[in-house]
Amino acid sequence: MPITVDIPPPLREQAGGNLKVSVTGNTVHECLDDLIKQHPALGPKLFDNGRLRPHVNVLVNDEDIRYLDDLGTEVADGVIVALIPAVAGG
Amino acid sequence: MTTPASLERYSRQMRVPGIGKAGQERIMASRVTLCGVGALGTVLANTLVRAGVGFVRVVDRDFVEPSNLQRQVLFDESDVTGNLPKAEAAAVKLRQINSTVEVEPVVADINRTNIEGLCDGADLILDGTDNFEVRYLINDVSIKHNKPWVYGGAVGTEGMSMTILPGETPCLQCVFEKSPGPGEVGTCETAGVLAPIVSVIASFQAAEALKILAGKKEAVNRELFCINLWDNTTRWVKIAKLAGRKGHCPCCAKRSFEWLDGEHGTQTTSLCGRNAVQVTPRGGTKLDLNELKKQLEASGSVTANKFLLKFTTTDAGNGYEFTVFPDGRAIIKGTDDTDRARTLYAKYVGH
Repeated sequence: MPITVDIPPPLREQAGGNLKVSVTGNTVHECLDDLIKQHPALGPKLFDNGRLRPHVNVLVNDEDIRYLDDLGTEVADGVIVALIPAVAGG
Repeated sequence: MTTPASLERYSRQMRVPGIGKAGQERIMASRVTLCGVGALGTVLANTLVRAGVGFVRVVDRDFVEPSNLQRQVLFDESDVTGNLPKAEAAAVKLRQINSTVEVEPVVADINRTNIEGLCDGADLILDGTDNFEVRYLINDVSIKHNKPWVYGGAVGTEGMSMTILPGETPCLQCVFEKSPGPGEVGTCETAGVLAPIVSVIASFQAAEALKILAGKKEAVNRELFCINLWDNTTRWVKIAKLAGRKGHCPCCAKRSFEWLDGEHGTQTTSLCGRNAVQVTPRGGTKLDLNELKKQLEASGSVTANKFLLKFTTTDAGNGYEFTVFPDGRAIIKGTDDTDRARTLYAKYVGH
């Protein structure tokens, strides 16, 4: 069972219109690398000079990676990685 | 036991075990500042005034337009015809709904110079805004003056909300270190918005508000609530451990109020004699002009090269021409009113 990345609406165009993308990797970083390999247009949306862009929050099973091990957080099969940019409208 | 006539209208609300007569009396003695009375704000104001909140100050810089009526529930066609400011139009309706509530409309652009005054005396601040600049300002005021606030955001068919209790929960900057920059994600104008997501998020915010005002902080949501009505998904993000972000949160850990102090945000300058306003985001931003072009295509005519983007549109019957630069700076032609220019920037470019 692979790892699922949930794609938020503002990034779906760059992800081929997909709501979810299956990836492989042992850490969050490897999973995002695989995601970008499959959908290169996501690269500049997620990373800036190799650093995760600060307005994109990354969750592993609904826990923020900033209090796990950041991009080094280990993931196992079946885990859901979610990308959550803040919603601004109102 | 009989209920006094003044409380009779709240009888169903008082029967909710968490509220009761004591909770209702606290709600009626409370004061709220509502920042923004657009989509989220009209639903929030409607609910709070019906619930009997004692004093509601509604602040908004904008006027009622035809495209608001699909979701901004306090407004009707006569408000558009009358070209009424949203705060004033809302106050008329709110007083008809509940004459015992003191409603104070303020037609103003919320910024770092006036926000502390606008929130003075408030027991709670509510977010009905459409941009993160004002939200970070609200967050600074909340932490600095120890006032709770409730964030809500909605666009397309998705929305999110979190409740900030200073000293108890993470603040907005703990959870969102940075907001999406100009052009990063759609706004309600460029990406659209379905009315039900607005009602869902604002109603969720209103429930949080009533818990706080009734003195039931223990019932408050401590997670980041996310919902998408089209995908049929909900998410409760566990954010408690982010509180203070291990001592590094500039706002709630270091008590450095960078937005109130003017280190971030946008600056506007009316360009004299040109019927134009320059809007400049502080702190530097990097804009993908091609991406912004795609987002704006449905709203007017747009061209872009690597140096600048030109966008012409008609908004509320007036024509505007935007020239947007890769650093986020924009010159908006068609107005010399800096508040109007901020509104247009937030609507089409977003921040």
